[in-house]
Amino acid sequence: MVEWKIEEIDELIQRMRQLAEELKGKAGEIQAVERNLDRILANIKMLELNISDVKELV
Amino acid sequence: MLEYQSIYWNPILETLSQEKLRALQVKKFRRIVAWAYNNSPFYRRLYQEAGLEPGDIKGLEDIRKVPKTEKGMMREVQQDEPFPYGDMLAVPLDQVTAFRQTSGTTGTPVYQADTWQDWEWWSECWCYILYAQGYRDTDRVFIPFGYNIFVAFWAGHYAAEKLGCEVVPGGVLDTQARILKMQELRCTAFMATPTYVLGMADAARNKLGIDPAKDLAIQRITCAGEPGASIPTTKRRMEEAWGAKVYDHIGATEIGAWSYECTEQPGGLHVNEAFFLVEIEGLETGESITEPGKEGKMVITALDRIAKPCIRFDSKDVIRWADHPCDCGRTFRVIDGGVVGRADDITKVKGVLLAPTAIEEVARSISGLGDEYEVIVSKKGDIDDILLKVEILPGQEGEQESILFRLKDQLRVKTNLGYRIEAHPYGSLPRYEVKAKRFKDLRKKGG
Repeated sequence: MVEWKIEEIDELIQRMRQLAEELKGKAGEIQAVERNLDRILANIKMLELNISDVKELV
Repeated sequence: MLEYQSIYWNPILETLSQEKLRALQVKKFRRIVAWAYNNSPFYRRLYQEAGLEPGDIKGLEDIRKVPKTEKGMMREVQQDEPFPYGDMLAVPLDQVTAFRQTSGTTGTPVYQADTWQDWEWWSECWCYILYAQGYRDTDRVFIPFGYNIFVAFWAGHYAAEKLGCEVVPGGVLDTQARILKMQELRCTAFMATPTYVLGMADAARNKLGIDPAKDLAIQRITCAGEPGASIPTTKRRMEEAWGAKVYDHIGATEIGAWSYECTEQPGGLHVNEAFFLVEIEGLETGESITEPGKEGKMVITALDRIAKPCIRFDSKDVIRWADHPCDCGRTFRVIDGGVVGRADDITKVKGVLLAPTAIEEVARSISGLGDEYEVIVSKKGDIDDILLKVEILPGQEGEQESILFRLKDQLRVKTNLGYRIEAHPYGSLPRYEVKAKRFKDLRKKGG
């Protein structure tokens, strides 16, 4: 049986989210930063759907 | 570890116990209902009228308290602001990044809004599909699709890229050019409706002198848009024509990519139960059906779609749970035989319930018949009449009488109905590139 390090993975995902949101807050009017972060945040959400949502069930 | 990596896109979710999947679904269901209630005026109104607040949903047993939605509601609200979606929209309009619409085969098209996150979600759902069907980064995937307002294979394209496949968009090319390009590039996989899979094979053989099974390198084909890949006789025709494995996928613009066949081909499709909640309700009674083998109407929730939430959507698809787990090891339940009909397609003819898929199953099982057929139901005086038009394959004309006899006989056995059958010259019935419309009920207005 494979043991998945879900807690650790989730922690890193949450750090990524925090970092991306922090960066978005500092983007000001720089569209090139803001819009790319929107895409990064959408990808982070996919990591959450795949890992974070299920962490307390594994 | 390697074994898991080689089979599953997400081994955690795809092998979660049924009990834990239910817990995950309840958690996500509560979240999407709260999201819709707080952000979509339509949903807030719907739930308030039913006296429901998101906090009322505590467990699985409370889900049926939530009012259902249906296509008609979506059509109705899209007349209102914000244009063109109406107040079912749950995000500010400036966050919408993609427009799609339904094909309109059952009425006015429904407009669908997606944010970038929703679009990532679409392709994520498709990653589950393609990975389960054996797509890997070594595949060169051809997509013979018009890349237009219909969602069709758009998300398949993005998912294949995400998997690391090399994607060849076959957008504006005509059928023959597409076949030649697939041959030239030695493509290993493609995606199309069953009608077009058969139509391409026909064009390859009869217009280009190419045998797709021998002269092309296709190993796997993903079908969507029509039920053909779950109809054994149609699947067999496609697999023989291409010398490839054919896998089914069912999704919908207003729902998402909710089910897929895996490489085990278990005679049905897995429901992606980590991303969707599927309920089955009795066709007549509306009672909840959880036991295998019993047909009912699907009510489905997309658990993570935010721009235009899809919550307890009455899809009209008729499905039934399979009674055995799949050998692939996925714990996602299987719907036996895919979508076996549509509640609004199953019609009474001469007092007998008839599903168009049953006719296809028979027509595609008779050797000597072409792939195309057409069914026209009408009234002759007070009596229902079913006319079935078929094509006899070139070189089989001498066998016409025996072919039609077998067809008529099998139709009576399988559907309990008698048919008038017309044999038409090969190539004379309409050909379709996307969704075929082979069943016409002239007794219905606009049928």
